[in-house]
Amino acid sequence: MSTPKPTPQKAPQMPADTTDAATDAAAQFVARYQAESPAREAWRMFRRNIPALVGTAMLLLIIGLTLYGTLIYTGDPFDIVWAPHEAPFVEPDFPLGTDYLGRDLMAGLLSGGGPTLAVGAAAAALTMIIGISMGALSGFYGGWVDNLLMRITEFFQVLPALLFAMVLVTLFSPSLITIAIAIGVVSWPQTARLTRAEFLKIKELEYVTAARAIGAGNGRIMWRVILPNALPPLIVSATLTIGVAILFEAGLSFLGLGDPNVMSWGLMIGANRDYILDAWWPVTFPGLAIFFTVFSVSLIGDGLNDAFNPKLRER
Amino acid sequence: MSALLQIENLQVTFNTRHGQVTALDSVSLSVNAGETLGVVGESGCGKSITALSVMGLIPMPPGRIAGGSIKLNGEELVGASDARLRGLRGSEVAMIFQEPMTSLNPVFSIGDQIAEAIMLHQNVSYDQAFKDAVALLDRVGIPSPDRRARDYPHQLSGGMRQRVMIAMAVSCRPKVLIADEPTTALDVTVQAQIFDLLNEIQRDFGAAIMLITHDMGAISEMADRVAVMYAGRVIEEASADQVLDTPQHPYARGLIDCIPALGKQETELREIPGVVPPLHMLGQGCAFKARCAHARPRCGTEKPLLRSHGAHPVACHGAEEGWL
Repeated sequence: MSTPKPTPQKAPQMPADTTDAATDAAAQFVARYQAESPAREAWRMFRRNIPALVGTAMLLLIIGLTLYGTLIYTGDPFDIVWAPHEAPFVEPDFPLGTDYLGRDLMAGLLSGGGPTLAVGAAAAALTMIIGISMGALSGFYGGWVDNLLMRITEFFQVLPALLFAMVLVTLFSPSLITIAIAIGVVSWPQTARLTRAEFLKIKELEYVTAARAIGAGNGRIMWRVILPNALPPLIVSATLTIGVAILFEAGLSFLGLGDPNVMSWGLMIGANRDYILDAWWPVTFPGLAIFFTVFSVSLIGDGLNDAFNPKLRER
Repeated sequence: MSALLQIENLQVTFNTRHGQVTALDSVSLSVNAGETLGVVGESGCGKSITALSVMGLIPMPPGRIAGGSIKLNGEELVGASDARLRGLRGSEVAMIFQEPMTSLNPVFSIGDQIAEAIMLHQNVSYDQAFKDAVALLDRVGIPSPDRRARDYPHQLSGGMRQRVMIAMAVSCRPKVLIADEPTTALDVTVQAQIFDLLNEIQRDFGAAIMLITHDMGAISEMADRVAVMYAGRVIEEASADQVLDTPQHPYARGLIDCIPALGKQETELREIPGVVPPLHMLGQGCAFKARCAHARPRCGTEKPLLRSHGAHPVACHGAEEGWL
């Protein structure tokens, strides 16, 4: 891993009499092993991971379709445009058929992706913000701070997550924002525990003492010294949280607690679930969309995990 | 005359599961500007605790400074506010650590880290701080410093990393530099280079250096004065030559006897029998009595004090009464 020292002994072909030439050669030697940041090194590892690349391509395709698909394939997903339960791949105007009200499934799928992904990403971001703050404070300060914050964390951890999220959504009117908040509020404890564990481990390391010795204060040590070193597992966890949050959103919508004014994949499944025996396609296509999205996010998370922990891979 | 760094009767205790132990027992030391004080002793003698006390980095709890004073340039550090200590750390007192492999933050480039240290104490832009960092790297002998500044710690050898640590420690021209076994983790050839560098830095910056080590070779090369520590107490203090040539305390003699001499045919390396007693089992009297070949009944009952008996201060009844 470490760059060989550019010493004259190691490169006997270098003219030893002129120091300038030796320095030049040493500089070239150094240049070949050009500085590689840990982040870039992880990226290099990630690039070699085929499943992770497939996942990335898949997710980019899905994001692209939901962002630009509706520009090409126009049409309101709530409009009743055709006879109900038109089978897919029959009518060229409605390639995926229609649902029980005669709404275009293709339009629903394309415009429902955006809200689904947005809620997933927002919920994951909220999870990370709450989880990292709580975990960092309790791991760093220890003592009564740790005790208090960890009891709060455990309180949230023992609540049945979906039930609690349902209560939150019912209390406040269901909208994309309240759904994202509800998911974030129920899923942060895991992140908090992970962050706390990393902080407990890293705060004992010598470079933290060294940072204190040059006069760094608590805040700087927490956010500039320890957190960057704790990030790899947190990034992996954040990626996987996006997948979980998308499933959560789908679950809430399926139970009828989604935002009724915004088309989402969960809402499509929820609305059509009563007719599943008459028509398989209105629930299958959004289901597959959710499956492939979560699958691709998981592949990326796995790839990141491998990239950040090269030691875990057996090669 | 008051020294740049003056430690007086410093008392540091730790709460352990064996009860409260005294890690430092009335330690008094002083270092003047431009001077190097060597602090020697085995592992667990309180050398590092002394260093951390000066930095204000004793973990509290379980540690506690129970008494005494640490004066830097006349300013009392014991009981100073956290903010004040933070301001002093790095700018007035800096520290070089034993393990250069683990004392650098692995996720930032070394230039970044030095620049950060500069920006903590000086009101300069990042670009200026980075330029200063490159100049410092050049000063401590890192080849092609402008390129190396963008390297990450894992890309450097141990010796280079220790040079980086030194660059970071002197980045704000501290008046006191504490080096806690700066060469223990390095090759012998690199050790000499690091000592040369420390000497040069001291000449340039006029800093006082407190060199903590258990290597008598390092003492003879670097130190002007030496304090020998044992079980949390200073047991002998004198100029480096005096301690190396005419050590008084049996422990100091033992340490010097342990240096294998070149040229002499010795089949076995010498050692001091036994180990440093655990701090909660010190009991009464001299802490060294169990390992001392000259111990007499008085050593078991009365704690020897650091006093001058002719040559230089030593804490030993034997030296005082002349039966060594």
